[in-house]
Amino acid sequence: MKLTWIPALGAVLLAVLFGLRAPSPKGLDLAGAGSLPVLQNGRVKPLDTVARASLLVMRGKQTVRDGQRTLQPTEWLLDVVAHPEVADKYKVFMVNDADVLAMLGKRPDEGRFWSFEDLAPKGEEIRKQAETASKIEPQRRDRFQRAIVGLEEKLTAYQRLKNSFQVEDTQDFTAEMAAYAAAIPAGVQAFRARQAGQTFDPAALERLGPFLQRYQFLDQASTFRPLLPPKGGTDKDWSTMGSGLLNALRDGQIPPHAAQYALMLRAWRAEDVNAFNAAVGALKADAEARIPDNASKTRLEVLFNRIEPFYLGIVFYTIVALMFFVSWLAWEKPLQEAAWWLMIATLALHTFGMVTRMWLEGRPPVTNLYSSAVFIGWFAVMLAIPFERYSRRGFAALGGAIVGGATLIIAQGLTGQGSGDTMEMMQAVLDSNFWLATHVTTITIGYSATFLAGLLAHMWIFRDFWLWLRGMIQRALGQAQGETDFASPEAPKALVKATYGVICFALFFSFVGTVLGGIWADQSWGRFWGWDPKENGALLIVLWNALILHARWAGIARDRGLMVLAVVGNIITSLSWFGVNMLGIGLHSYGFMDKALVALLTFISFQELVMAFALVRPLVPPSATRWLVIWFVAHLFLIVLHAFGINEKGFIYFVGYMAIQVVAIAVAAMWPKADAKATPQLT
Amino acid sequence: MADSAFIRRLKPLASLQLTILLIALLMGLVVACTLAQVHLGVFGAVKVYMRGFLVWWGPEGASWKIPVAPGGALVGLLLLINLTAAMFVRLEFSWRKGGLWLSHIGLILLFTGEFISGSKQVESNMAIKIGQTMNYGEDLRHVELAAVDPGGPDAKEDTVYAIHQRRLAAGRTISDSRLPFTVKVVKFMSNSRVQQAPFLAAKGPANAGAGTEVIAEEAPNAPSEEQNTPSMYAELSAGGKSLGTWLFSTALLPQTLELDGKKYELALRLVRVYLREHEQEMPYQLTLKEFHHDVYPGTQIPKNFSSLVRLQDSVKKEDRDVLVYMNHPLRYRGYTFFQASFGENDTLSVLQVVRNPGWTIPYIACILVAAGLAWHFLARLAPARRTS
Repeated sequence: MKLTWIPALGAVLLAVLFGLRAPSPKGLDLAGAGSLPVLQNGRVKPLDTVARASLLVMRGKQTVRDGQRTLQPTEWLLDVVAHPEVADKYKVFMVNDADVLAMLGKRPDEGRFWSFEDLAPKGEEIRKQAETASKIEPQRRDRFQRAIVGLEEKLTAYQRLKNSFQVEDTQDFTAEMAAYAAAIPAGVQAFRARQAGQTFDPAALERLGPFLQRYQFLDQASTFRPLLPPKGGTDKDWSTMGSGLLNALRDGQIPPHAAQYALMLRAWRAEDVNAFNAAVGALKADAEARIPDNASKTRLEVLFNRIEPFYLGIVFYTIVALMFFVSWLAWEKPLQEAAWWLMIATLALHTFGMVTRMWLEGRPPVTNLYSSAVFIGWFAVMLAIPFERYSRRGFAALGGAIVGGATLIIAQGLTGQGSGDTMEMMQAVLDSNFWLATHVTTITIGYSATFLAGLLAHMWIFRDFWLWLRGMIQRALGQAQGETDFASPEAPKALVKATYGVICFALFFSFVGTVLGGIWADQSWGRFWGWDPKENGALLIVLWNALILHARWAGIARDRGLMVLAVVGNIITSLSWFGVNMLGIGLHSYGFMDKALVALLTFISFQELVMAFALVRPLVPPSATRWLVIWFVAHLFLIVLHAFGINEKGFIYFVGYMAIQVVAIAVAAMWPKADAKATPQLT
Repeated sequence: MADSAFIRRLKPLASLQLTILLIALLMGLVVACTLAQVHLGVFGAVKVYMRGFLVWWGPEGASWKIPVAPGGALVGLLLLINLTAAMFVRLEFSWRKGGLWLSHIGLILLFTGEFISGSKQVESNMAIKIGQTMNYGEDLRHVELAAVDPGGPDAKEDTVYAIHQRRLAAGRTISDSRLPFTVKVVKFMSNSRVQQAPFLAAKGPANAGAGTEVIAEEAPNAPSEEQNTPSMYAELSAGGKSLGTWLFSTALLPQTLELDGKKYELALRLVRVYLREHEQEMPYQLTLKEFHHDVYPGTQIPKNFSSLVRLQDSVKKEDRDVLVYMNHPLRYRGYTFFQASFGENDTLSVLQVVRNPGWTIPYIACILVAAGLAWHFLARLAPARRTS
């Protein structure tokens, strides 16, 4: 047996180990602090996740730099809560919008990351502008209004984060707690006496008053609940630092967990390594004892965060794809062998990431847009494996790696949405593991297979275009090039077979998934089919796959036609995956995402370009070339036009225009002259 | 074997080209229907593109409209015919084609089911407060003119006379021996603005009841039918004697009409769908005992909505508690009750009440198509393996 799998596995393992290194600058137990559990947005998560999610929302990245050094997310969070004077200098706010920058008195060439200190002088102005803009419906806001509202939300989130453990002006939280505990007995007694109309000590009441104000403020401001429930308690029993301290009024006892946090924050401020590590150790032990299940989950979540399996997935899938591309030029067999094993190792990593998420959430793989992207890529690679084993030309594997890498990039792009946490709790109507496991998973498999078929079609078209180009060059140079496996007539046949098979697979899963969705709807609001945009999107995929197969059986779509139609499948799937969310209507909508819209339109335009390339060989130049250039320029113009003035109406026109183009090209590709050689039917 | 004349005549109907054209048309309609929802709302868009046989178009403000495309109903019907014909003409009856047979039968069933629920499904709403008992749901998209006779002081039940909206067209006279009076519809408005009659200004056509003080003006239809305020002017008469022209509207409280010593409460109200299988039966009733609206701790994200109701049916002698919650409706004697909404500080629960005799069809159809496709594709895979 050849040992070609060793370098692949070694590379992936090395990358994982690199991520797993426990960060401990100056001997601080940062890993321990990062794994401390808190309750945020209804979910128990480690502080490390809170830090990463906050950074993602504010900065668009999970890390921040302090001069030359890159801070760990947990390190940044500890500075924010314990040492805000320092944290306020970190450049964590991403401001991209030129108009917002102008309002702040900054120039775009000064950079796009700003610190709280940079923005604070303009805080009032930002708040006023955001208030004006937020009166307008989200969909009708212009670019500046969206940007200013976004910036204000980030600033508010940052300020709330600062006040999640202690009020931000606190110097020594432990001393403050001691003073508070000392003021409680006399203060409570005075309060009771006043209530009962007896004589009381106003000074004692006055001593307690400011503490109560501070802790009420803490309770309101904090974005998470750090104080653990008692042993055997539920998620409802977590409390904020503020309410935990207010509860101390009853018995005069500061909750021990709160006191430990105070010690930890004080030690961090004082850079006292031993005291810090001791406090973190005590907090960890407390969590282990009181909530063992949650504690083991948070530990795993921190590992998952550090390995970043999906980020590594992007890197490795890209390498796999490049290796396959190069293999068609040189070192065909050894490169393909190595790329194959690297893909398997990357898939293992991808699987680890997905299964970890499933275990942490206690849910089937797909629960939101983010996880659908992760799953589509994963399944496309899984599906590519048997097809690759069958044909062994690298096509199916390359297709899988491209879909896998691209969807992970999409997932990465979706992470900054909302609260920044991709494992949010499910809304009541979606809270059904049975339907998430059946309907959502099958429909996503349908998406995945349709994308893979489209990718295989790309390769067929690319090969065809490449042959045409090579033929032109050969004619010009008057010499023949050496033959490779890629150029052999067997290659396109294998591709056609694989594409056809994947389309059959896609039809089955998209149909079953769509109907299961109808049945879910019937179960939850009594309407099997409601013509909701997302339902319609799924239906379009089913209809399209059915149309391709019928066109094939009728002999209308031969090889070229089949491939062009399969590329259209990509457009339809991307529209039903994201386009309907952008319409801003319907039960499934997630809001208008303008950046994603530009990406989507660019993708669709690219797909049309690929379709047009399929026409290059059958239509003899120069007329076709001229036609192609005109079409391409017109198209670019339209893309630019719409990238600048996108609104709902523009979107609808654009979709209409795209549809006409797609139909025109598809019909042209199926025109009898387009594929002179009759191809044997597969049915 | 020579084809019979019947089969030969079916051939053009069964063509694959027609199938492809119809699928493409359906896709176009689905896209148009989706995009149109931005402006028309879901119901409006579905009405224009899906429910009709033709899609009509006219310039904005113009009174004329021309058909520009086949509608969803027509395309669906043609697909149904095409599918059925294809089974007889193209598909031989063999194990090899068994999967296609099965999936085509499933599809036919699915289309038929959609036609059935399109025409037979009745949706209503039941907004029920804690402690309240109700034996009907309200159809939010249709109204009825109701005359309630509370009966004498010792009567146990009200007698209700109700006339459905579809019979309340302008110019029509509704007289029935069971009705205590005759109704002549003067004007029916599917949406209206009801306001105080301006001082000394032109009065409305009404000369009796509340219509002497308020007037209703016709208004364009709201984006969704549920938001309309229907009103109508109608002349009532009994024994050949006019009882005046009245204004009825969903915006008005019930009005009292005295006739032959009896007092009737008249109102234009949402059509009530009583919970019973047959007209003559006593409807069964639901009492809301508890309503719960749970959120995830520390958030506003809803975790669950649930209504604990008491189901009492004098016909079937049922008297029991049922919990209705997300994804777990109550199905009872032809009606299904879903947790739909809530209000008034979580003391009011809104249940969606659906009567759909064809609700099981999609379940069966789905199983047939899925099994058929799996059969067909797997059978295809096997010989491909052997030949390679």
